[in-house]
Amino acid sequence: MAKKNPIKAVKDFWYGKPHTAEEGGRRLGELYEDKTGLLKHREWRGVKDTFYYMYNIWGYNYVHMVLDILKYSNNPIDFVKGTWRYRWMGQTYLPVIHWFERGLQGMRGEALEASAWHYRAMVSASIHQICNFFNADTRLHGGKQNEAYKHTIYANETTCGTLFYPWKDAGYQYLPMEMIPYFVTCHVNSHTVLNYIDAVQSIGLPGDPCPMCQAESGLFVLDDVPDSAPIIITCNEACDASVSTHTLQDWFANKPLFALPIPMQFDDPLVKKYCMNEIEEMWKFVEEQTGVPFSWESMKKYLERQNKLQRDEWEKWDVASKTDYYPINGVAQALFRIYSTQYGIQTSCWEEASEKVKKIMYKCVEKKINPFPQTRHRVIAWSCMDSLMFDMEIRTDSYENMLEDMATYHMWAPMRRMAVGGMHHIFELWDYMKRFNCDMVAMYDQLQCKGMQGVHGLFEDEFRKRNINAFWIPHALPDCRTVSRAEISRAEIRRQINDYMTTVMHEEPLDPSLLDFDDSMTW
Amino acid sequence: MKDLKHLIYFENLLQEANNELVKQAKAEGKRAIGYTCYFMPEVLLDLPGCFSVRLRAPGCTSPDIATYYLSGRVCHYARSLLERALEGGYNFLDAQMGTETCTATCRFQEHIQQKHLDSVEDMRIIDNDDFFCTFTDVPFKNSENSYQHFETQLRAHVLEPLHEHFGIDISDETLVKAVEDHNEVCRLINEIGEYRKLDNPTITGYEFHVIQLVSLCCPKYLILPYLRETAEEMKTREPNLKKEFRCKVVLAGSENDDPDFTKLVEGCGALVVCDRFCYGAVESRQPIVLEEGKSPLRCIAEHYLKTSNCPRFMPQDEMRARKKRLADLAKEYHADGVIVASNKFCEYWSYERVIDTFILKRDYGIPVCSIEKEYINSASGQLRTRFQAFVESIEIKQIQEDK
Repeated sequence: MAKKNPIKAVKDFWYGKPHTAEEGGRRLGELYEDKTGLLKHREWRGVKDTFYYMYNIWGYNYVHMVLDILKYSNNPIDFVKGTWRYRWMGQTYLPVIHWFERGLQGMRGEALEASAWHYRAMVSASIHQICNFFNADTRLHGGKQNEAYKHTIYANETTCGTLFYPWKDAGYQYLPMEMIPYFVTCHVNSHTVLNYIDAVQSIGLPGDPCPMCQAESGLFVLDDVPDSAPIIITCNEACDASVSTHTLQDWFANKPLFALPIPMQFDDPLVKKYCMNEIEEMWKFVEEQTGVPFSWESMKKYLERQNKLQRDEWEKWDVASKTDYYPINGVAQALFRIYSTQYGIQTSCWEEASEKVKKIMYKCVEKKINPFPQTRHRVIAWSCMDSLMFDMEIRTDSYENMLEDMATYHMWAPMRRMAVGGMHHIFELWDYMKRFNCDMVAMYDQLQCKGMQGVHGLFEDEFRKRNINAFWIPHALPDCRTVSRAEISRAEIRRQINDYMTTVMHEEPLDPSLLDFDDSMTW
Repeated sequence: MKDLKHLIYFENLLQEANNELVKQAKAEGKRAIGYTCYFMPEVLLDLPGCFSVRLRAPGCTSPDIATYYLSGRVCHYARSLLERALEGGYNFLDAQMGTETCTATCRFQEHIQQKHLDSVEDMRIIDNDDFFCTFTDVPFKNSENSYQHFETQLRAHVLEPLHEHFGIDISDETLVKAVEDHNEVCRLINEIGEYRKLDNPTITGYEFHVIQLVSLCCPKYLILPYLRETAEEMKTREPNLKKEFRCKVVLAGSENDDPDFTKLVEGCGALVVCDRFCYGAVESRQPIVLEEGKSPLRCIAEHYLKTSNCPRFMPQDEMRARKKRLADLAKEYHADGVIVASNKFCEYWSYERVIDTFILKRDYGIPVCSIEKEYINSASGQLRTRFQAFVESIEIKQIQEDK
């Protein structure tokens, strides 16, 4: 047994163990209980960071998960009733902090602080949505359609919240129907969604359509979407399965519905007018259904806040692309962007988090702090979900300009650049690699996305011709079962990356204990 | 029944995309314009100087190279088309009029585009210097805005490119004449199809499927004489004295250009009396009505949106009307049931099939057989068992009702 070095022990206590494969490194994989993904004990990150994590992240967020309920809920009892009524709620609320653990494992200093603020905003916005669901849900109020119900507009989760700002000041709440029940729950508890996929397959749907759409349909098959709004807006974003999902949902929801199509060939300048007209028709539908006219003032007010948030994001991307001082990890970056752009300025949490993160980021820039000092490669993750959607400001100087930009914004929705609108968008990868100074590509190979699969061979050809280091991560979004190819699990994904790094790149891991461990049952 | 005079000739025409009549039209200096989807109005591709060819890939059972490009998780139809293109089977095409109406066929058409991307090396799959491919954006609704949009798109991405590349006359007068010619084909196909409504139909589903397909895959002006003769022949065709079917069905679903599939269904005792699927005649052979005060192009744009029953239409009323339409067809053609068949990996029809299976039975009392199939009908044994069971269930239902 190696003799303990008291100086190193003191250093490890004060600073945490170093990130190295050498003897005395972190060996984070050894912290896990076999299969469960639960920790035997939390990582000791050194005195400062451990206590920061304990009080400013763990404690702070638990307290705020309660405070947010009190802040956003009309009656906290409804929250308890909703947790009991809906499977996606009951199975995901308490594991939230485990989600933090997974996302922040191994992080230190500014990276730990900044990334946690992104998580905090996502949790706060999620609670905001959950409370709005339950405030209005007729199932939790004896079938009564209360005022909250009458002031809620349901939309498909890929219909951007920006479109509903005109009614926000009149007290109308946009709610993306599947964002919490499907999208958010996948991140917190990966087992919950499988039940919904099974449900829709049990009525005859094959296993091959996009699992996201399957799960969104399954929620309706199992009657597990709150009845919180009198009307629904759907859109064809992003693919064939999305359109079909809404068809199926309509039969179960049976509410007045407005279909808001996004043109497929969105680069074609001729489609813009068509798109603008469709948006205006949708606004007319909302006016007719709510009896409340479109408010330009309300629209303008929230768009300006949204534009500011967009500019903040560009500042962050600028630092991320040109320096080594960006303190946000990849998961926190991508999820924050997706959550915030989709839900929009329905709460102030995005702006508050963004301000805090910018402050930390500029501290890193000024003091030349590299939050991820062991970085060897800069990898761009490329897939049908990305941070680059809605990548623009919307003009607010006139209604006409706003509408024109809104059409473009609406057409640059999630997955658009990946799945539809011409394959040249997906090959913008080469430009983004340059823009973000990347030397490697992680292809998130969504096996059930027909758009992505349909360019598989061309990517292989181009990677070879361009001599780009790229590895494929096959997955089926939240469903690890329907794709037989080697059981797409977390362990398999890790193996794919590790194999590439060792056999192709000939590199050694920084923490060998993370190469292979079984967390198949984890949340 | 006596064999149709031209049936074997028609069957031979379906053996390859570049068939005898296509070659003849090309030899006469006409331009071959390919398309895959109903939303691309074939009437616009049949203007003087060019002719439409709805693409098929008959006999393509192993699309290996296409599977490398599109992966094995994309519909077999799209992969087969790409494989056939890579084999050189579509080199006769002078243009492809693309639509992004389903992802898989869109990706196929993007692969055959030439000199279109700086980011990807040109594959030059279609070995024809004149070849080009354009994409038309197709709306998801029937509304004034959609009609206007579709008209604009068709002008910009179909008519004008045809004029610019090949000097095709795209004047209103030419369009009116093209509609007249198109309607003549529709009239003949519908006339032939009417015999399917008889108590003992004088045409089988297979025969009709073959006739409908040749009208889609051959130059209209060359196939018309054969269609006329067949329509004439049908007037005196006598049915078999004994009915050779056990029940009648509507065949609905996704892309189906395989008459052998219809033959398989009929071999199990279910006569296919109505074809409401992509490549079927229910939609595509409705005559185009030119209305006064509207341009011919506007009428064409409206026609193709109004007549389509594609599951990509999103509005609530249209989603629900599609079910009623199917139920009405079953009634009109005296069908005992509906077979809904979706191609593997077709997302639109995977969902639509589930809903049809549920709603037609629940709301209209129509028995439904719901199956998933490949583009080329390789799982015939399993499908035969399914169809036989369905026929038996209909017979049992009829026996119970007679009691």
